[in-house]
Amino acid sequence: MVSAAGVREILAGITGDDFVREASAEDAVAGVQPSLVVSPGTEAEVSAVLACASRDGLAVVVRGGGTKLDWGAPPSRCDVLLSTARLDAVVEHEPGDLVCVAQAGLRLDALQAALAPHGQRLALDPGHGVAATLGGIVAAGAWGPLRARYGTARDLVIGARFVLADGTVGYSGGKVVKNVAGYDVAKLLIGSLGTLAVVTELSLRLHPLPRASCTLAVEGLDAAAVASVWRAVEGAAVVVSRAVALWPDGVLLLQVDGTEDGVEAQVSALHATGRLRRLDASDAETAWTQAQAAVWTEGATVAAIGVPRSELAALLDRLGGVAERTLALPSLGIAESRLRPTISEDDLRALRAWTEQRGGHLLLRRPPASLARLAWPQRDDPALDLMRAVKRSLDPTSTLAPGRFLGGI
Amino acid sequence: MDGEVLRRLGAALDPGALLTAPEDVRPYECDGLTGHRALPAAVLLPESTEQVAVCVRICHDAGVPYVARGSGTGLSGGALPVAGGVVVCLARMNRVLAVDLDNERVVVQPGVTNAAVTQAVAAAGYYYAPDPSSQQVCSIGGNVAENSGGAHCLKHGFTVNHVVAATFVTANGRVARLGGAVPDAPGYDLLGLVVGSEGTLGIVTEVTLRVLRRPQSVRMILAAFDSIEQAGAAVSRIIAAGVLPAAVEMMDRLTREASEQAVHAGYPDCEALLLVELDGPDVECDAQVESCRGICVDAGAVEIRLARDDAERALMWRGRRAAFAAMGRVSPGYYVQDGVVPRMRLPEVLRGIEALARDYGLRVGNVFHAGDGNLHPLVLYDRGVEGEAARALELAGRILDVCLAAGGSITGEHGVGHDKACYMPRMFSGAALTVMDRVRAAFDPAGLCNPGKLLPTPRLCGEVPGFHRVHPVEAAGLAERW
Repeated sequence: MVSAAGVREILAGITGDDFVREASAEDAVAGVQPSLVVSPGTEAEVSAVLACASRDGLAVVVRGGGTKLDWGAPPSRCDVLLSTARLDAVVEHEPGDLVCVAQAGLRLDALQAALAPHGQRLALDPGHGVAATLGGIVAAGAWGPLRARYGTARDLVIGARFVLADGTVGYSGGKVVKNVAGYDVAKLLIGSLGTLAVVTELSLRLHPLPRASCTLAVEGLDAAAVASVWRAVEGAAVVVSRAVALWPDGVLLLQVDGTEDGVEAQVSALHATGRLRRLDASDAETAWTQAQAAVWTEGATVAAIGVPRSELAALLDRLGGVAERTLALPSLGIAESRLRPTISEDDLRALRAWTEQRGGHLLLRRPPASLARLAWPQRDDPALDLMRAVKRSLDPTSTLAPGRFLGGI
Repeated sequence: MDGEVLRRLGAALDPGALLTAPEDVRPYECDGLTGHRALPAAVLLPESTEQVAVCVRICHDAGVPYVARGSGTGLSGGALPVAGGVVVCLARMNRVLAVDLDNERVVVQPGVTNAAVTQAVAAAGYYYAPDPSSQQVCSIGGNVAENSGGAHCLKHGFTVNHVVAATFVTANGRVARLGGAVPDAPGYDLLGLVVGSEGTLGIVTEVTLRVLRRPQSVRMILAAFDSIEQAGAAVSRIIAAGVLPAAVEMMDRLTREASEQAVHAGYPDCEALLLVELDGPDVECDAQVESCRGICVDAGAVEIRLARDDAERALMWRGRRAAFAAMGRVSPGYYVQDGVVPRMRLPEVLRGIEALARDYGLRVGNVFHAGDGNLHPLVLYDRGVEGEAARALELAGRILDVCLAAGGSITGEHGVGHDKACYMPRMFSGAALTVMDRVRAAFDPAGLCNPGKLLPTPRLCGEVPGFHRVHPVEAAGLAERW
C-alpha cells in the first residue's frame, strides 16, 4: 500500500490540489475517521479516483450532502471520503418530456427551484436535511410523504450513470420513461448506501406541480381509528397525494391535489369520512415539514419499520414505551420511528422480532455505537447469498463503504 | 441430451410432465417471434417451486442450458429455446394462491394470465394495472421477465412498479425470497433487477402483486387531425398543461384505415387519430377532459368525440388494438419495430422514418403510445418481391438508429431477447455492457439460464433479426398484440 502522502499526491494529480484535503473530525462517517476528502469534478475524475483507491486497497465512502452518512452500520474502514459536491449540474431538462437529467451531487432543493418555473417537480420530499443531494437520496432510498402517491426513487429514476470501484463507468436506462433495454442496474443502486457503485448522474421522471392543493388533518385518533379513518379515505373518491399518520399525536395528515374544482370536490368527499380540519396553505407546508422533522431530531436514532398495513394499528400500539415519535404511511404500513434514547438492546430485539413475526422488518438509521451491530436484521438465506455475489462481482476489492450494508456487505 | 439427465428430470416431475418426443416439443420451438426457431431436447411442465428448483439443480449439475417460458407471447424471442436444451414451461403453475385486499396484495403462480389477476379482484372494485395488449393470454411470469407495460403504463407504471415480492429459483437451484409483501425489505433490490431481466437471472415461481382500486371515472376523447405534427403538438401541450392521462395513443392514416376495415370502430377519416384516456375522481376527470378538448381544438383537431359510455370507449380501444393484425389486409408481410423516443422528438423522428421509407421504397405504418414516446413502426413488405424482406429488415434497424439519435431506446416493451441482442452495443458502451455482464455472472456464473438473450454475443450477432409471423393464438382469435 502506498503512503498517505503518496495517495494524496496521486489524488491531487487527478482532481487538482484544490480538491483534495486532509479529513477533519467533521468528516467522520458514523465515527470512522477518513484520512482524505476528495471532490472530483467530472465522472472521469470519479473513475480515476476509484481506480486508484481500489488498486491501493483503500476504502471509499461517498458523501453527498452528508445528511444520511450515518445510515446503516458504521463502515469497517474508511480511508477516502469522496464528495460529490462538485457534480451539481442540471445536465438536461426538456419540460415537454417531463424528464430531467442531473448530476448526483445536485441538491434536491436546487433541482426543485430549477423545475418550479416550468410548473414541474421531482415528486420526492424526504425530510432528512435540506442539504440532501439527489445521489444521497437515491443511495439511501430516502422517501417522504409524497410516497403515498408517487412512490420512491425506485419509481422515479429512469436511468443512471455510475462508476464501479475499479473505475468502470456503467449506465443503465436512459432518458425515456418507457424503456426495457438491458438490465435496470440502477435498481440495485437505489438503497445500496453506496456499497456497489458511485452514482454520478440520474435521469428522473418529473411530475407537474399541482394547480391546487388542500391539506386536511384528522385529529384525536387512537391507533384503531387511524387505521379505520384511513380505510374510509381510501374508499372515498379521492386521490391522496400525501398521507401520514403521526404518533402518538393521533393525527392523520392528508393532502389532495388537482384543479381547484377537483380539489374542492375531493375535500367534500373526505368530509364525509369524518371530522377534518382544513389547514391554510402556509400552515399546511409547516405541518408537512414538521411531520418528518419531529422524527428526525438531531442525533436521534430512528427505526425504519415495515409491517403489513393491516397491522398498522397494532404497530402504533406496540411502539408505546419504545418510540418517542412516529411517522407512518398508512397506505403502505411503513414508518420512521424515533426511538427512546434509553431503549435497551433487548427491547430493540423484541420490537424487531415482533415486526418480523408479521412479515415485516426493522432497520436502524443513525444507530449509536452501542446499537450499531443491530443496525441490520440477522439474515442468512439464498437472497443474501445473491446480494453477496452481486457485491463481489461489482466491487471485488470491497472498496466501497465496506461493512455498511446488510450482512456486513 | 444424456439419457440419465432426462431420467432424473422425469423423476423430479409429475407423470407426463416431461416431454421429449419431437412432436411434443415442437410447439415450444419459438415464442411470439416465430421467425426464430430451435428445437429443445426436453420440455418440463413443473407444478411447484420445489419441482422447478430440483430440475434447475439437475440442469446446473449436468451443464444443460434451460429457458423458462410462460404463454409464449413474447415478441423478442426471449423464450426461444436453446437447441438441444431444456424448456421449463410454467403454464401448469396457474393458480391464484391468495387474495388479501386489506393489504391490496394478490399472490399468484407465474402461469396465471395477466387478465386473471384482475378477474380475481374485480368484484371487490380492484384491478391489476399493467395491461399488455396480450393480457388475455400472456402470463404474469412472462410479464415479470419482460417488465411489461401496456397502454396505461403512462400513468400507472410498469410491472416493476406493481410486483412487491417473488419466490425465485436461482441458477444453481436454490429457492430465494426476493422483496417482501411489506415494502422496503432490507438489502439490495434484487427484485427490481430481476423484473425485466428476461429470464436470464433465474426463474420466478411465485409473485406477489399490488392491486389498485378502480378509479371513479374513466373517460376517452378521440381527436382527428390533418397531420401527425398537429396531433403530436396536442400531446405535448396536454402534458405541458399538467394533465397526466392514463393513456395516449396515436395512429396514422395507413394503420387507421386498416383497422377501420377490420373492426369498424367508426374512426373519422384523417391523417392522424389521437385517443386520450383519463381516469380519476369524477370532477377531476371532467376538468381534464375539458382541458384536453380545448387543447386539441387549439392544436387544429378537425373532429373531436367523447366516448358516451364504456361500450363506446371499448369500441374506440378495439380499433386501436386491432391495428396490427389488420395490417395483414394491406400488406402480405410486415415487420413490427419497437422503439422509444423522448416525447418532444416525435414529430422529427416521424419525419426521419418517412424519409427512410422513401429511400427504401417501402411503406411504413405508425401506431404508437404517444404519451410515452413508444413507437411501433410497421414496415410493410412483400416476400414475393425479390429482396424486399431483407430491405424491410434493414429499414427497421435504421429506424432504431433514428430513435437512438433522438435520445431514445431500442425497445420500450418487447424486450431485447434474442432479436435485439445485437443492437445493444448501439445503445450501450462496451463498459456498460461489461457491467451488465458482471451482474449476470453474479446470478448465473455458469451461463446456463436463458443464454444468448439480452446481452450480445459474437455468435448471435452474425444472424439477422427475425420477422413477425402470426402466432397461433392470434390466428385463433384468442389474443391480439401490441
